[in-house]
Amino acid sequence: MKQRKSELTFFQKVVRSRTLLLMCLPAVIFFFAFNYMPLPGIWVAFVKYNYRNGIFGSQFIGLDNFKFLMTSGKLLELTRNTVLYNLVFIVLGNFLAVFVAILLNEMQSKYFKKVSQTIMFLPYFISQVLVGILVFNLLNYDTGFVNGILTSLGFERWQPYAEAGVWPVILVIVYLWQQTGYNSVVYFAAIMGIDGEIIEAAKVDGANGFQKIRYIILPSLKGTIVILLLFALGGIVKGNFGLFYNVVGSNPMLYPTTDIIETYVYRSTMVDFNFSRASAVGLYQSVIGFVIVMTVNYIVKKIEPDYSLF
Amino acid sequence: MKKKLLAVLLATTMVMGLAACGSGNSGSSESSGSASTPAAEESQAPADEEAAPAEEAAGGEEAAASTSDDPWADAWADVDTSEHVVISYMTTGDAPTQTKERYEEMMAKLNEILTERVNAELDIYFIPWTDYLSNYNLTLARMDGTVDLVGTASDWLDAWPNAKNGAFLELSEEMLQKYAPKTWASVPAENWELCKYNGDIYLMPEDNYAQWTNHGFAYRLDWAKEAGLEDGVHSWEDMTTYFHYIREAYPDIIPWDSDGTQYGQMSGGWISSHSDYVSIDGINSGAMWGGKRSDLYTVYSPYMTDTDSLIEYAKMMKEWDEMGVWRTDVLNNTSSTNRDDFRVGKVAAEQHHTQTWTGLVSHTENNTIYQTDEDADVGFFYFGEESGNVTALNITHGAMAVSAGSANPERALMVYDLIRNDPDIYMLFNYGIQGISWDLDENGMKITPEGYNPDTDNIAGTVNFWWGRNDDLEIKDATMNWDRIDELYAEYDKIKIPYPYGQFIPDVTSIDAYISNINEVFENYMKQISFGKYKGTAEEIVAEFQSALEAAGINEVTAELQRQFDELYK
Repeated sequence: MKQRKSELTFFQKVVRSRTLLLMCLPAVIFFFAFNYMPLPGIWVAFVKYNYRNGIFGSQFIGLDNFKFLMTSGKLLELTRNTVLYNLVFIVLGNFLAVFVAILLNEMQSKYFKKVSQTIMFLPYFISQVLVGILVFNLLNYDTGFVNGILTSLGFERWQPYAEAGVWPVILVIVYLWQQTGYNSVVYFAAIMGIDGEIIEAAKVDGANGFQKIRYIILPSLKGTIVILLLFALGGIVKGNFGLFYNVVGSNPMLYPTTDIIETYVYRSTMVDFNFSRASAVGLYQSVIGFVIVMTVNYIVKKIEPDYSLF
Repeated sequence: MKKKLLAVLLATTMVMGLAACGSGNSGSSESSGSASTPAAEESQAPADEEAAPAEEAAGGEEAAASTSDDPWADAWADVDTSEHVVISYMTTGDAPTQTKERYEEMMAKLNEILTERVNAELDIYFIPWTDYLSNYNLTLARMDGTVDLVGTASDWLDAWPNAKNGAFLELSEEMLQKYAPKTWASVPAENWELCKYNGDIYLMPEDNYAQWTNHGFAYRLDWAKEAGLEDGVHSWEDMTTYFHYIREAYPDIIPWDSDGTQYGQMSGGWISSHSDYVSIDGINSGAMWGGKRSDLYTVYSPYMTDTDSLIEYAKMMKEWDEMGVWRTDVLNNTSSTNRDDFRVGKVAAEQHHTQTWTGLVSHTENNTIYQTDEDADVGFFYFGEESGNVTALNITHGAMAVSAGSANPERALMVYDLIRNDPDIYMLFNYGIQGISWDLDENGMKITPEGYNPDTDNIAGTVNFWWGRNDDLEIKDATMNWDRIDELYAEYDKIKIPYPYGQFIPDVTSIDAYISNINEVFENYMKQISFGKYKGTAEEIVAEFQSALEAAGINEVTAELQRQFDELYK
């Protein structure tokens, strides 16, 4: 296949796969317009931006915009929080999604399968702002649902909004509740794509349900899992602003365990509205994300070339 | 990034849509516009003779009687207004919903007049209160002619940073004399000086409007008397007594349903009450630098020097928190409607400025406490009362600027000059249509007309023209409690000093990275201190706060500000 193609000229190849290329075109245009054309704008991170002079006419000030991240003395704590939360989200999120997808696949009743899938999917459509309000109404001290139950059972009230320690758990639960249904769809589709004959053959050979999962479904999902993980790792320094900002709010008592790069930057640049500095932070995150993706991809390529991105 | 661009694209499409609508409008009213031009020219001749006296009257009652002889005609005689334009005016505030109908009627009438006078229409671009500062700055940064007139403020709306960023047009003296002649004449030269940056005028100040926006607590005077405070609350300690009493006597009432955002105003208020600190506006929202009344030009930050006072503050706020002055989860409480609750008697205090209190002390229909409780009365404990430390407003607390992206800056100035100085237009714009939204009583005071419904007819304040209000044209509202208000204003006038740093526009280029970090430290710690939510002792948290400020570079900022001060004042 490969050899025969290379015999054709470039033009012939284009003509031959014109339909595919045409179908590709919208995506190519999209990524070109939205991901490549704005790239020169990165320059704004290195200038003192002036509205009238524009990005390229403003005064060049080198790395000054990056300085405030360094001088805050919080960069390490912020990056740590961001990365750790994302790691937990990625690992637990994918694990749970695979688990749910397999459960769904094993369900016999079609009706029950559809209903449970829909119910799990629904939280994904709730806006983060509403999620924040829901959580507050569940957990607040004076009128919260949880505290209502606790007091009526004779327990003492619980004050989570003053306890930084419990928030990693709460945030992870909220995240999983919201995202699992959505994430499992991809895996569910991948399971659907497994050749039915292999499963038939395994059944004939006397494999039970668990063996089927262990030896057929999980290995077939490996490729999907690795690729999704690789994609997710690229964004590991990019925090989930919507979730953190809305659920935690601006309560400094909780910052030690909940402050991520995004929320910090939001608070400290909201006041003086500095485009350049915000872009500097974005660039910092992208560079780190890039390095991580390249490294992980390199490692994956060494171990199992088929699963690497490129 | 993708999302941002998509948003920009959508916004652009929308703007194009709007622009298309706009041009359609101007097309349709072209005929009326050109028809009115000769009329304006005709009125020019009599106006010539009247121009001088009309100038003198500057919108007094006499002028109101003779507005038909357009006093502007002279200055604008040779201005080419043949093209009909739409001037967009940006203001903070929410677009009217319930009163939309009245608002639209008012705007239609206004635009009829403006079209006749200067062949222009006004369109209001509202910046809703939610996240107003970012939306405001973002709109200015677009520079695509979306807005022409920009309501701004040096202390709360980033006027100077925006001027420096190139968002505002430099207004030359010739331009102002030509296109905004009345405003030019009514603002004294020394006030124009305060609107200059690097020698250019950027702002037209609201300098002829008496108002007090110093903060404090509005509280129920009748309840304070029950608590044994015979002449009301006059100190932070009295406030504690008052809150204690409220907790005991009215257990169902949350004394103050704060949403946790007033931490800086409270700490600033405490400092005013316990020192002679005068803050510099426009450096950061905490107003953390300033001088002393006794020594105005030595910069310091009370947050670093007044340690004992801060410890005392932290202790008192802890007491308030434990007493239950606010909700336990006050820092996450986003759904507070404290001011409305105060009007109906569901809370016992409201922290805001004097101007807000003037509304609360008046027996208006919204304030149902006066209908349900005939003893009800509202007092005001202003921050700085103990030490007599009150500073008058800077004149650029409200000012109008012209966007550098404006396609019609001249016409924008003309429209502004009319709204600010023409009595009929001023009242129409600020109060609504006379006879529907307001009326005059026999004393010349503002009353509500027959059949008036406050929910749907009240459009006073909808346009938020806080950038050119004019005491010459203001009509006193008959429903306001002027005895009490004037009494307090007189007290202020006795102790106030004028804002001393009007000419100081800090150049923060070299220190704004520090300031960002200081803002962050201030918010983190001051929220905990002001709402008594800190762990450990008051001494510990204040020490921790100060060492965090030091690490964030507060001493460097103080030194740099002092250097700039010395340059300007020495």
